Amino acid sequence: MASLLKPWLLVPVLAGLLSAGQIWVSHLRYELSLETQRLNTEKQDALGQASKLRLELANMTRPERLRQLAQQKLGMAPPKPEQVVNP
Amino acid sequence: MSDKQQIFVRRRIEAVAGLLALGLVLLLVRAVDLQWLQADYLTSLAEKQRYRQFTAVAPRGSILDSKNRTLAESVETPSIAAMADEVPAERMADLARALGLPSKKVEGKLKKRHGFVWLARQVPPMVAEKVMALNIPGVRMEKEWRRYHPLGPETGHLLGFVGIDGKGLEGAELSWNSVLTGESGIRQVRRDARGHSLPDGSWLREPAPGKSIKLTIDASIQSVAYAALADGVRQQNAKGGSVVVLRPKDGAILAMANWPGYNPNSFRNFKPGQWRNRAVTDVFEPGSTMKPFSVAAALTSGKWKPDSIIYCEKGAMQVADYTIKDDHPEGWLDLTGIIVKSSNIGVAKLALDIGPEPLHEMLRKAGFGQRSRMGLGGESPGIVLPTERWGPVETANIAFGQGIAVTPLQLAAAFSVLANEGLYVAPRLLADDMQAAQNASHRVMQASVARQVMSMLEYATSADGTGSKAVPVGYRVAGKTGTAQKPDERGRYSRDKYTAVFAGVAPVDDPQLVIVVVVDEPQKSMYGGQVAAPIFRQVAESALPYLGVPAEIKNHGPWQAMEVAAEAPAFEAESTYGMSMREVRRFAASRGLRLHVHGSGWVTRQKPANVAALNSSESLEVWLDE
Repeated sequence: MASLLKPWLLVPVLAGLLSAGQIWVSHLRYELSLETQRLNTEKQDALGQASKLRLELANMTRPERLRQLAQQKLGMAPPKPEQVVNP
Repeated sequence: MSDKQQIFVRRRIEAVAGLLALGLVLLLVRAVDLQWLQADYLTSLAEKQRYRQFTAVAPRGSILDSKNRTLAESVETPSIAAMADEVPAERMADLARALGLPSKKVEGKLKKRHGFVWLARQVPPMVAEKVMALNIPGVRMEKEWRRYHPLGPETGHLLGFVGIDGKGLEGAELSWNSVLTGESGIRQVRRDARGHSLPDGSWLREPAPGKSIKLTIDASIQSVAYAALADGVRQQNAKGGSVVVLRPKDGAILAMANWPGYNPNSFRNFKPGQWRNRAVTDVFEPGSTMKPFSVAAALTSGKWKPDSIIYCEKGAMQVADYTIKDDHPEGWLDLTGIIVKSSNIGVAKLALDIGPEPLHEMLRKAGFGQRSRMGLGGESPGIVLPTERWGPVETANIAFGQGIAVTPLQLAAAFSVLANEGLYVAPRLLADDMQAAQNASHRVMQASVARQVMSMLEYATSADGTGSKAVPVGYRVAGKTGTAQKPDERGRYSRDKYTAVFAGVAPVDDPQLVIVVVVDEPQKSMYGGQVAAPIFRQVAESALPYLGVPAEIKNHGPWQAMEVAAEAPAFEAESTYGMSMREVRRFAASRGLRLHVHGSGWVTRQKPANVAALNSSESLEVWLDE
C-alpha cells in the first residue's frame, strides 16, 4: 500500500482538490447570485406594493370623499361653533 | 533519376515550401491584425455578445402635504413595445385585439419603423398580461412609472402634471422637476450561449430615486377651499374663481385653488388654457381691497389719524377731467367710516393729499408689482405703474384699486402684512423653505398702524359693513370687499363684467388665516360682499376649528361680571369697551352723546374708536355682546 503513495502523486491530487474547490465556490457564487436576484426582485415588488398602497390610502382618505361619506352615509354635519373646543 | 528530373523535384519542393512559408506569413499577418490592430474593436464586439446592459428608470419622488399625506405618487405600470421587424404579420390582428386598439393603428406603428417601437404605453396590468400571454415574437413588456394625483382636480392647478416620459410639465411638478426626477441606473448582466441572462449582474450605475418634496399645503383646507369656491362660482353662474389661504405668521400657503378645475390624471382631456394656475398667473384689478393700504399709507404719513374726518362730497368728486363716484353717497366720514362704507372719494382724497410717492412705496413694500418667488413658475408680477406716470387721476384711482393689477397670491401676502402687525413675510409653498421665508421678511408699516387698519377692517365686517357675510358664527374677522369692473376688448371698463373680491384675516385677536377669494364675472350679483364674502366664510368656518381655533363662547360667568363692576365710573372712561347696557347709557347721557345700541350684554365694539374726542350731541354707536 505504501508503495502506491508516491510523492509525485501529490501534485495531481492537489490539483484535483483545488479544481473541485473552485467548482464548489463557483456554484456557491451562482446560488448566492440567484438568491440576491430573488431578494432584489422581492424588494422591488414590496416597494412597488408600498407605493400602490400609499396611493390607495391617499385616494380612500381624500377629504372630499370623507366629507361625502360623513354627510351622506353617516348623516353627520359640520360642527356648530360651541361644539368645537381647543384640544 | 536524371538530373532534369532531380531539378524538377527540387523546384516542386521549393515551390511547396514557398507556398507554406507564404501561408505562414499570411497567418502571422492575420494574427497581428486580429490580436493587435483590431484587438479593441473585436474585444468590444465579444463583450457586447457576452454582456447586455439594461437601463432601469428610477421612480419620481412623491409630493406630500404639510401632514405627510400623499399628493402625488409614481406607480410602476407596464407598457407594451415591440421590435417591429420581428412581429409576424399574421399575429398583428391578435395583438391589436389584446391591446384594444384598431388593427390598422397597430400595423401602421409596426410597419413605419424597423427597430424598437412603443405599441401602448402605461396600460393596465390586465391588458399587459393578456398581450404577453399571446407569446408573439418580438413583442415585449417594459416597465414605466406613471404619476397619480389622488386629490385630482382639487390640486390640479397647484401640482400640475407629468408627461409620459416622466418629466414635469406644469405646476409644482414642473417647478421642482429636477428635485423630483430620479437618476436612471445601468445594470450589466452576462448572457449564456442562448442569450439568456445569467444572475450575476452588476450595477454600472445604481438608480437613484427622485427626492420627495413636502409642501405647506394642507390637503383638508385645500379640499374645503376648492369645494367652497366651486359652490360659490356655481351659485353665481360665474366664469371662474380663485382662493388662496395663507398662514400669515410664516407665509405658508395652506391652500390655493381655482375653478373650473381640471383632473391632472387625465390632463389631455382639457385645453391648455385650463391648466393655468390663475391664483399666481392671472391679474385682476383689486378694487376696494386696496383701500386698507391707502389708509395705511395715510396713517404712516403722520398727516392723518384714525379719527380724522373727510368730507365725501355726497357721492361725486371731480379730479381733473374724471369724476369719481361712490355707490353710497356720504358726507363726513372718519377713516373707519371710509373703510366701512368703502368710499372711493374718501381714499382718493387721502391719496391726493399724501401724494403718489408714499402710496407707491406702501404698495411696493407690501409686495405688489413684484413676484413673490415662492417657487411656482409662471408667476405674474402684477402691474403697478411707476410714479412718473401717476397723475392726480391715476393716484386717486390706484388708491381705490383701479389702474393697478394684482394676483390673488399677492393680495393674500399683502393682507398678511396687516395680520403680522406690519411685517411682510414672503409666501412659501415648499415646507423646507419656511426658515428662508421668515428670513425674507421686512417691515412695511408700523405695528400701531397695522393694528388701527385691522380694527377698521373689523368694522367693515360688522352688521353695517360691506363684508358682514364673511363672518362665521363665533369668530371675529377683519376684511374688505372689492368689486372691480373688468376691462373690455377696447381697453375700456366693461359695464357688465366684474370681478368680486373678498380679502380678510381671521380671527382678529390672533390671526391664523389670511383668505383671499376672487370670483370672475359673477352673474347674479357683482358685489364682493354678496359673492366672495360667503365663500370666505365657508372656508374660514371649516378651517378655523380644524386648526384648533375654537369659536368664542359667549357666556360670561359671575367672576367676569364682578370685574366689570369693579371698573372706574363710566362717565370718566375713555372707552366703552366692557361696559354693560346701563353703564354705556349713563356714559352717553353724561357726555350728551346720541347713543345707538346693538345687542345686549357687554360692549365689544364701539364707533368711533376714540370716544374721548366726541363732542356733545355727536353720535356713539356700540355693539354689545349677546
